[in-house]
Amino acid sequence: MGGKVTCTLGEVKQRADFIVYWGGNPAECHPRHFTKYTIMQKSKFLPRGRKDRTMVLVDIRETKSAKAADIFLQVRPGKDFELITILRAMIKDQHVSDEQISATGLTRDAIDDLIRRMKAAKFGCFFFGMGLSMTRGKHMNSASLLMLAAEMNAFTKFVAMPMRGHGNVTGADVIMRWQTGYPFGISFNRGYPRYNPGEFSTVDVLVRGDCDAAFIIGADPGATMPQPAIDHLARIPTIVLDPHITHTSRLARVHITTAPQGIAAPGTAYRMDELPMPLKPALKSPYPSDEEVVRRINEAIAKKPFWLPDGRQSPNLWSTQVNQ
Amino acid sequence: MLRITGGKVYDPANGIDGQVKDLCIDDNGQFVESVPGGRTIDATGMIVFPGGVDVHTHVAGGAINFARAMTPEDHRRTQAFIRTKSRRSGLGGMAPTTFATGYLYAGMGWTTVNEAAVPVLSARHTHEELADIPIVDKASLTLMANNEIMLDQMEKGEFERAKQVVAWYLWAAKSYGIKAVNPGGVAAWKYGHDAKQLDSPIDGYNRLTPGDIVTQLARICDELGLPHPIHLHCNNLGAPGNISTTLDTLVRLEGHRAHIAHSQYHAYGGDGWDTMCSKTAELAEYFNTHPNLTTDAGAVLFGDTVTITADGPWQHLLHKLTGRKWGNLDVENETGCGIVPYTYRPSNLVNAVQWAAGLELLLLIRDPWQVFLSTDHPNGGCFWRYPEIIHLLMNADFRRECMLKLPSKVKGRITLPEVDREYTLYEVAISMSAGPARALGLRHKGNLGIGCDGDVVIYEENADVEQMFGHPRYVIKGGEVVLEDGDIRETPQGKEFLVRPQIDAGIDDFMRPLFEDCYTMQFENYPVEIERLEHPDIRECAPVSG
Repeated sequence: MGGKVTCTLGEVKQRADFIVYWGGNPAECHPRHFTKYTIMQKSKFLPRGRKDRTMVLVDIRETKSAKAADIFLQVRPGKDFELITILRAMIKDQHVSDEQISATGLTRDAIDDLIRRMKAAKFGCFFFGMGLSMTRGKHMNSASLLMLAAEMNAFTKFVAMPMRGHGNVTGADVIMRWQTGYPFGISFNRGYPRYNPGEFSTVDVLVRGDCDAAFIIGADPGATMPQPAIDHLARIPTIVLDPHITHTSRLARVHITTAPQGIAAPGTAYRMDELPMPLKPALKSPYPSDEEVVRRINEAIAKKPFWLPDGRQSPNLWSTQVNQ
Repeated sequence: MLRITGGKVYDPANGIDGQVKDLCIDDNGQFVESVPGGRTIDATGMIVFPGGVDVHTHVAGGAINFARAMTPEDHRRTQAFIRTKSRRSGLGGMAPTTFATGYLYAGMGWTTVNEAAVPVLSARHTHEELADIPIVDKASLTLMANNEIMLDQMEKGEFERAKQVVAWYLWAAKSYGIKAVNPGGVAAWKYGHDAKQLDSPIDGYNRLTPGDIVTQLARICDELGLPHPIHLHCNNLGAPGNISTTLDTLVRLEGHRAHIAHSQYHAYGGDGWDTMCSKTAELAEYFNTHPNLTTDAGAVLFGDTVTITADGPWQHLLHKLTGRKWGNLDVENETGCGIVPYTYRPSNLVNAVQWAAGLELLLLIRDPWQVFLSTDHPNGGCFWRYPEIIHLLMNADFRRECMLKLPSKVKGRITLPEVDREYTLYEVAISMSAGPARALGLRHKGNLGIGCDGDVVIYEENADVEQMFGHPRYVIKGGEVVLEDGDIRETPQGKEFLVRPQIDAGIDDFMRPLFEDCYTMQFENYPVEIERLEHPDIRECAPVSG
């Protein structure tokens, strides 16, 4: 398993005649998604717009997004992985028993119909939300849906994309990847990047009480993290850069008010399809941007004596690489 | 100011072949006749080359960053760059991180690199990554051969319009030249198809063929006067028997300049994986009689790597062949992208043919000014393994030794056993520096003449060629000593080369409605602002007549 078969949102706008939202509620969480990218747009290839597209919603409850869907499939909570696995089997005409199907909360007819439509599509796309990626099975659910999309390419064009949110989280991912090789959950405590989600992720480091200071930009962990993590943030010197007063800024030792990105501060944000969008501020702010604050802190640190003794320059820069 | 004295100088751009000669670099970082003072490096007994130039590599942007995300297992086992006072931390390996990329290139004496595949839509990202690659100078090429707005103009027979569209995109991307990948094939891939031959129909088009795109794009590059000609990844990459497609492509480039990327992947005979063989002799013969063409080898080295290309349909096939991870990213209106980790094994017949074919091209194309060192990093192997290829080129006995490890069935399928040629140091200097610099139209690179950029690499003479080229004694970039005694000392920020072709005033109004039809961002926000480039260096365009 591994990999991701995806595209930019313009491809969906231009070509996708079959769209599945899985474990997400775009009508309320990504309200412009339908109109800008997925179901409402007309294009060269889909001149009748909505009429040329089919939308399926898979979720554990009938959210507001169900109104926009042609087909709503209510999966039993915690059975997403099983349903995806059944789909992966049945597109290849492998046998799946009635009990296995009914455990997912769906009927064989509904699944047969879904598969028939998936295969008949010219360009299909799965969008998956936190209802899939953050519930029982977590990354295994995402991985299996990505595999289903990849395997569908044996029959027709199919792609998949996570419905990401939370400001510029994709931008943070992208930049960490080019600078360190990894998207998140990175430790530099050996002087080079190491990656282990579950060990080096922010929440784990905080819960274990491993860090003795915290520097927080563009996030409010005080509102979302488990209590032991919040307790540790309150215990150590926590510095917050944020335009607003937040749960985290209330417990921080230092809160530096910054100009809001895209409104009063310029920059770049990466969209959920990893395209960089320039941000052009509409207003002026008396506050500095996050970037300026970080740059000034960096300049101040650079004036201090270097913290590694000279003798600890990289010991093994040109070591032979291991190739297996 | 810097003076390098007593070294044996190899400067093919000026016909200097190992003569002892002093070099002087002034405070502007350029070669001059003499300098009044400053540091002197005593290079007596050492070998002096112009800094290396990589004509075709993938080091920055959405595709390589996708590959980084897909290969954490390689990062874990690879060489780590520990942060020091002058260096930032990072990782080497199949898809090195940006800072490490700069240190690795400079560490083996390369001072200019050309990122060969950039979608305009994510060019802003690519420039941000390039800014994070220290020391080396950089250029980037824009992917054009599957851009539907341009294809529509070609379909209608509006050549002048198509040319203006290309010029508009080039400046929007702030890039240096045009890359064409599988012309028409990637556009067809948007609905899961391909266009393998020059006369294949392209999904969504009635008249236009890949052959038309190739010829017209080559003419556009010439008429816009781009310093680097069309940089072409031919149709039908990697497939047995694709030599006929490649030769057909070359015929359609008659009368134009062109650079053919990673030829190794386009020089196969046979009609299936069982019968695949090398047809490099035929391809080399074509190059030997056509001085309008240059190429880079795209040589393969055995070991692990990750393949990345805009050729989406090929990567789907590779995923099906190997069962390895598959990444795919189709970019609206413009291009595609595919990622598959891959291991080249000497025991695998196909891989053995590929390994031999890369070396054969470097050895059978007689004029070293036409064929350059490359692995199509990271596709055929990682760029930091170039010294291994230089060793193979310089030593026929070593090649024979390596061939013993290949399966016996490879006999008769490759030409390499019959090739005795060995590269001289002068030829190595052409292949790794002077040649690619000339093909890129960077006259001030790969050249130790007066007024050129002071990029120099100094080696201690050593019978162990891999050791010598892998571990220079000094590397000088723009007159600054960046590497000394195996350690990176300085990490200056390099320049970024780009062109500003002639653009008709009315083209914005023409592009806007077409753009708004197929893109999902604001027209005004699409072009990369020149302020976003660190140290931009705009090169002149000089139209060439056919």
